Amino acid sequence: MITFSNVSLIYPNSERTIIENASFSVTEGEFVLLMGHTGAGKSSVLRLINGLVPHHTGGILSGEISVAGRSTRLMKPGELADVVGIVGQNPMNGFVSDLVEDEIAFGLETLGVPSDVMRKRVEEVLDLLALVQLRRRQISELSGGEQQRVAIAAALVTNPKVLLLDEPTSALDPIAAEEVLSILHRLVHDLGLTVIVAEHRLERVIQFVDRIILVHGDGTLELGSTTEILHTSPIAPPLVELAKSLKLPSIPVSIREFRKMAPHIENVIDEYESPTVNKSLNPILAMKNVFASYRDAERTYALSEINLEVYPGEIVALMGRNGAGKTTLLKSAVGQAPIIQGEIDIAGRNPASLTDQELITYVGYVPQEPSDLLYGHSVKEECDFADRDNSVPEGTTLNLYSNLMKIPDINAHPRDISEGQRLGLALSIILSASPKLVILDEPTRGLDYEAKKVLVANLKRIAHEQNRSVFISTHDVELVADVADRVIFLADGEVIANGTTRQVLTASPAFAPQVAKALPHTHWLTVAEVERQIHESR
Amino acid sequence: MTTVHTRTTTRVFHPLTWWLWAALLCSTLLFANNRFISIAVITSTLLVAFTLKRSSPWSRTFDWALRFAFIAFSIRMLIALLIGVPMPGRTLFVLPQITLPELFVGIRVGGPVTTQRLLSGFDEAILLVSLILLFATANALSNPHSLLRILPRRFYGIGLASVISSSVAPQAASGIERVRKARRLRGQKSSGLRSWRGIALPVLEDSLERSIDLAASLESRGYGYFPNPTRYRPELWKMKDTLAISGAAYSLVLITITSSTGLLIPLLVSLFALTPVFVS
Repeated sequence: MITFSNVSLIYPNSERTIIENASFSVTEGEFVLLMGHTGAGKSSVLRLINGLVPHHTGGILSGEISVAGRSTRLMKPGELADVVGIVGQNPMNGFVSDLVEDEIAFGLETLGVPSDVMRKRVEEVLDLLALVQLRRRQISELSGGEQQRVAIAAALVTNPKVLLLDEPTSALDPIAAEEVLSILHRLVHDLGLTVIVAEHRLERVIQFVDRIILVHGDGTLELGSTTEILHTSPIAPPLVELAKSLKLPSIPVSIREFRKMAPHIENVIDEYESPTVNKSLNPILAMKNVFASYRDAERTYALSEINLEVYPGEIVALMGRNGAGKTTLLKSAVGQAPIIQGEIDIAGRNPASLTDQELITYVGYVPQEPSDLLYGHSVKEECDFADRDNSVPEGTTLNLYSNLMKIPDINAHPRDISEGQRLGLALSIILSASPKLVILDEPTRGLDYEAKKVLVANLKRIAHEQNRSVFISTHDVELVADVADRVIFLADGEVIANGTTRQVLTASPAFAPQVAKALPHTHWLTVAEVERQIHESR
Repeated sequence: MTTVHTRTTTRVFHPLTWWLWAALLCSTLLFANNRFISIAVITSTLLVAFTLKRSSPWSRTFDWALRFAFIAFSIRMLIALLIGVPMPGRTLFVLPQITLPELFVGIRVGGPVTTQRLLSGFDEAILLVSLILLFATANALSNPHSLLRILPRRFYGIGLASVISSSVAPQAASGIERVRKARRLRGQKSSGLRSWRGIALPVLEDSLERSIDLAASLESRGYGYFPNPTRYRPELWKMKDTLAISGAAYSLVLITITSSTGLLIPLLVSLFALTPVFVS
């Protein structure tokens, strides 16, 4: 179905070849995962398949790529529209209509499909992706998972042979991600569709895919079966790491496979030391009976009756489905989302009464898009601005940054550094005001495992060594398992669970990390815990 | 399977209606070049915009256009006050005059400010404001994306360019709010020149990125590549579309045929321009 022969790609003004002399082929009806570090070139490989690279983005391509017998060198992406469908990283940016139904029909309209056939196709796709209820809704009002489904429907409606998806689950909560992936799985099985997915969150996808293309980042690609690649790959989901540390004979790709081959592990310990948080201290953040509404016209509550506290030195994770009110809650803590009732205290003061300058010495907020904070021409300039804004000695921010991670070239433009580095930069700018509470909204979107490890280490240091509090909203269960002391679970604007990470994560199967699912009776959450336990019992 | 042909959501007008309405009123303004007509059109435009605009991402541009129009007006009036060629009329007051070198003969900075000079400045300023507001209203009331669907696909490039350019403004408007809020979290005041640079850069980059994404999406869905596109649900030109623009058309005709300078004409123009509100 897809054949790469001796393909090399280089972008103009770039010193690095993205792909060098790659040859592989993907057969019809395969489900293939593209994995690799951020910036390794996963998106480029994906976009090469439908010709967006180099026709749309520029770049020098040598070799031959053929998709369903058509050469992408000779044909532009538009001419491949009937055989290849693509869903980009931010589907919202690619939508051309307001209504779900119109969006889905768009591809058929451009291909000139007669309107009676079109009706049938739209109807089929609506059924296939369970969008019938949403057909007349405004796309902008849908949740992230629903939008992702609309984008897939819009790409599928023309009956393509190949479907390409760039990080389809990165913005989704675990349940929505599961939904999207099982739909893809069904399409592969029922329709014989060839699906290629680029994704960082391996724990979500590996159980569904047949083969993996590992993009090494030095121009080489490696294609192999899931177990082959995961056996040697430097990046692996927790389940695979767990299998490796238990020295299992082969690599399991699903929880079910793991349970079949795993040795029986007794419930070794019953009591776990709960994180030492001194509740006699005054909380940094306290919310009492807080209500907030979406819009004045509709009296729907984005938040209702929220009561919570965040104490010094603890890391609290805020979880919940897309649209549960997580961002609103975080924003209300810095006075950026108006509340209609209740009280919010930041170190005993009302955030709305503080000036911005005062506020940032109490709370640092890293928004969902860290680049919203950045506007300098270089990393150095960003750091200098932060020093000046917070009137700290020159070099403080840069110093903080280099303590967080290996920093990029300080003359590089903040747009050109990797996602992880950008997050680190935003975090160090926030830290330069030495806030008592650091809030991060969905920080792991687009981060690979390595960048996530760095983030985890940093957050732990900020909280446990520097005795600040960290309040973090995320869909990433594995991150929560690694880093959080306590989890607050929101559903439809209400707190439905508030307890230690172990209590909350093991209580709900959908939001459980892989280790907890694989070893359900042990109450372990992370591979590190299992390793420590094995080590101690010897 | 039931065939569904009607739109249940409120699509009030055809996507082209507002652009035609604005174009006709623009012509009216330029033909008339009369301050009362300009004021009449501004009043109706504001009424139209505030009664019909909804809380959609592209309608937020109107608030920004209002600020922009105000700035344009102030700058033009300031120039009228300070710089100009000597004009007759009753002198209102005299500003200290700066003598310019020989080269700029006939132009002066400062000096006596006459009613004539102020009025001609005001006329131009108010014309400018009305043109900005007309453009902003069309932009706020029509969805750039539906415009894309009705443009003939043969003009692929034009369609793409027009969508990208008409969607940059709305995206920028929503981006500004977001970045401003984020910027405050860095402890920066959201006023002042440096902060504007700080807001403009990420907003522009963001809008550009979105537009590129949109173009890539259109491209990979075959927009403009296939000769005979079909319509899933045609955008019908309805009676009220005709009525809405005929009001604007009447005002243009009225201006071209009459030479009356009374207040009746602006009043009529104002009413004609309001027809979309009456028929919607």
